[in-house]
Amino acid sequence: MTWVLRGYTALLFTFVFAPIFFSMMFSFNSARFPTLPLEGFTTHWYETIFADEDFWRAARNSLIVSVSTGVLATILGFCTAYSDYRYRFRGQGAYLAIILLPPTIPLIVMALAMLAWFSKVGISGQVWTIIIAHTVLTAPFAMAIIRLRLNQIDASMEAAAWNLGASEWRAMREVILPFCRPAILSSLFLTAAVSFDEFTIAWFVSGLNKTLPVHVLEIVQGTIDPQVNAIGTLVFLTSMTLVIAAQLSIFFRLQRSTR
Amino acid sequence: MKRFNAYALTFRLPIIIWQGLFFIGPLAFTIAMSFFLVKNFRMEEAFEMKNWSRMLSRGYVWDSYWFTLMMAAGSAALTSLLAFPASMYLAFRSSESMRRWAIFLLIIPFFTSYLVRTFSWYVILAESGVINAGLGLIGLGPFTMLNTIFGTLVGYVMLTLPLVVILQTVTLASIDRSLIQAARNLGCGPVRVIFATILPAAKTGLIVAALFAFILAFGDFVAPYYLGGSKPPTLPILIIDTTKAGQQWPRAAVVAVMMMVTLFVIAFTAILLAYRKRASR
Amino acid sequence: MSEPLVVLDGVEKRFDDFVAVRRADLTINAGEFVAIMGPSGCGKTTTLRMLAGLEDPSAGTIHIDGKVMNGVPPHERDTPMVWQTLALFPFLNVRENVEFGLKMRGVAAPERGRRAKDWLERMEIGEFAGRNIETLSGGQKQRVALARALVTEPRLLLLDEPLSALDAHLVIRMQSVLTRLQRELGITFVYVTHSQSEAFAMADRIVIMASGEVAQVGGAREIYRNPANRFVAEFVGRNTILTGSVEGARLKTALGSFTMPGQGTQPADGTQANLVIAADRLQIGRGPLEVENTLRATLISEEFVGAFVTLFLEAEDGTEFKVQLQESALGALDLSSGGTFHLGWRGEQAHLMIEDAR
Repeated sequence: MTWVLRGYTALLFTFVFAPIFFSMMFSFNSARFPTLPLEGFTTHWYETIFADEDFWRAARNSLIVSVSTGVLATILGFCTAYSDYRYRFRGQGAYLAIILLPPTIPLIVMALAMLAWFSKVGISGQVWTIIIAHTVLTAPFAMAIIRLRLNQIDASMEAAAWNLGASEWRAMREVILPFCRPAILSSLFLTAAVSFDEFTIAWFVSGLNKTLPVHVLEIVQGTIDPQVNAIGTLVFLTSMTLVIAAQLSIFFRLQRSTR
Repeated sequence: MKRFNAYALTFRLPIIIWQGLFFIGPLAFTIAMSFFLVKNFRMEEAFEMKNWSRMLSRGYVWDSYWFTLMMAAGSAALTSLLAFPASMYLAFRSSESMRRWAIFLLIIPFFTSYLVRTFSWYVILAESGVINAGLGLIGLGPFTMLNTIFGTLVGYVMLTLPLVVILQTVTLASIDRSLIQAARNLGCGPVRVIFATILPAAKTGLIVAALFAFILAFGDFVAPYYLGGSKPPTLPILIIDTTKAGQQWPRAAVVAVMMMVTLFVIAFTAILLAYRKRASR
Repeated sequence: MSEPLVVLDGVEKRFDDFVAVRRADLTINAGEFVAIMGPSGCGKTTTLRMLAGLEDPSAGTIHIDGKVMNGVPPHERDTPMVWQTLALFPFLNVRENVEFGLKMRGVAAPERGRRAKDWLERMEIGEFAGRNIETLSGGQKQRVALARALVTEPRLLLLDEPLSALDAHLVIRMQSVLTRLQRELGITFVYVTHSQSEAFAMADRIVIMASGEVAQVGGAREIYRNPANRFVAEFVGRNTILTGSVEGARLKTALGSFTMPGQGTQPADGTQANLVIAADRLQIGRGPLEVENTLRATLISEEFVGAFVTLFLEAEDGTEFKVQLQESALGALDLSSGGTFHLGWRGEQAHLMIEDAR
């Protein structure tokens, strides 16, 4: 019985990882239409994209968008998490709802809503329009990560800092921020990674300032082009670096405190 | 703390302003926009039912609506069923460290481009793709898998499976083991143990997992478009076509509002079901 | 030496509908070791937090060193606190933790390091200066917390149940560390605890709080022998309490009429009063006792602590009597055969309490 279940689970994981695996494999395959058996090994697809100005422009936009989103979402998430941790106030439920709701709204609805609203107020089609939209989308994740960290703080720690002569602002800088540092780093990486892969909203609001996933979307709409596999592999490596960095920033914190 | 407190407001206000301007604002505007008019390819602010009466009287909108609803619900059920044995294995038959690794692995897909994975499935499922090439070796096929409901389902399952397995595993792993032990001692076979103790105890988590799968599939346009061939178009595809092709944003807004209302009703029902106390017998 | 350092004048604290401190009047002298004791929820921690400025009184005034402290934020006071959870900063090492208060006051780094080192050595943890907080034992952390609070050389140190997380043997050890420190430094300690043994072992004066009010203030002996009211009599020590009404020089109770100890003024006949008899002042025997007040009671249970034993007996109307005696005295009593015992006490050894019938 256990063996059957184990085999089944392995099969399911194969299903989940097959597309990632094939995409990486075909990015080095010389055939124009990716299928089996494999043809020769090539770096042609990578050379193609590296020579493509559109790719570099999209990559640059993606970098700007994901880094800015990470910073903004983390700042907003931190402020909200801290408010929720420190204070009890009227309307706190509604307050939490407006930050935590965005991920439950379908991306396509958010995309249309953002496009319409940004056009209405006359700020659509800019790189920072994407940044604003992605910040709305990812701030909840930042808030959740940092709030979990604040759950672990000794209830008297902030008061202890005031008690030793730190003003509220000083205690924020000397105690709350250092305490939350691993979560803040983790949040920066994770929100940047989510933003780096998001394409629905970016596609709607970006106008001519495409990000990398929007660039991929436009290639996919045209033909079957193995370039996509090469870009996908690069994007995958970037995202994984961010995710692993996020994991490590928490892991190293643990290491330090148990040394 | 009644008096004005600059420190507290510094941390409390930013998100209210931000989400007010860029989250509540857009959503409210979308609802308003569904009553606007389009004249000479220009949108005019108005309060007319024209878009609603037009969209709600069109057969293709309703076809699309029911199709999307059924596909999303079906895929949520399918994914839940597919995930359950694996979650059972991870929760009850594997070691703690293996479970942690499995969950870490399942987080990876969230950070790989969904588009690229869909493209990869496109290549795998194509007439001359990886699967048909494999089947050809043993003299089978080729089978048409792209541009079918099967294709769409593969995409939906790919999108939702990792999350569902994670949520199910976490739920199952937190069931009190003594409950299962007690059922065994009372002579329940493995199937009865699942139906009599595990399913009721894990109900909330299982429903929440399925709800997330539904939400993701319901709002996705990539799988039905690239793998399902948009036959028929789902609601998200309808929104894209109406927005991108013409200037009919108000009609797209009607579809968006329909989606939000549907989602709200379903999420509300599911949560009610999930948290309802079991009837005492 | 005995000028007042802290004065609480009609202090009250409410949180919405809940009254944490109803009315606190209290004077604490410079150089005193004062323990505030009471059951949980009695307002003792809230009182301490008001001294530190973490809560503002809803009414009344707090003076420290002659200045009104209402509205002064915590960081502008010199009232360091040792916390129940210690609240050490886990992202700083031992030395940095101790330096924190000096850093906030703008003391230059070399001076900070010197003073932190002095205090760590004084607390006998000098060798741990560079260590991470999490690697220390409970007792070591306790010493870091003390050093961190004392490094700024305050006149007043607040302690909020600082020993509650320690093992029993460490508690005794830290008690002597604390009393020695307080004597040497000559500063004022305000020590909140729910533990009688801690309060009685260390404090010069003890403040007993009940439901947000100060129930009694006094030395350990005074509180033990002369409880001011029923709450204190029940909360402190093992006392038997008999309630009745005054009739001449005697108190008439449901169990009979008993002599009252000499009072300054003779209460009027009919006054409701309580007679409090400490467990170690009750005599017990199989035969009649040669004291003026006697009665009979049935043994319910016994409790052994070290060389002492406490017997719990019940009189005919259900009143519980507690008798403490040396374990060696048990032989004559022949407990195992059960039955009733004679109890008795000398009139002047009981304590008469005329007060509210709380």
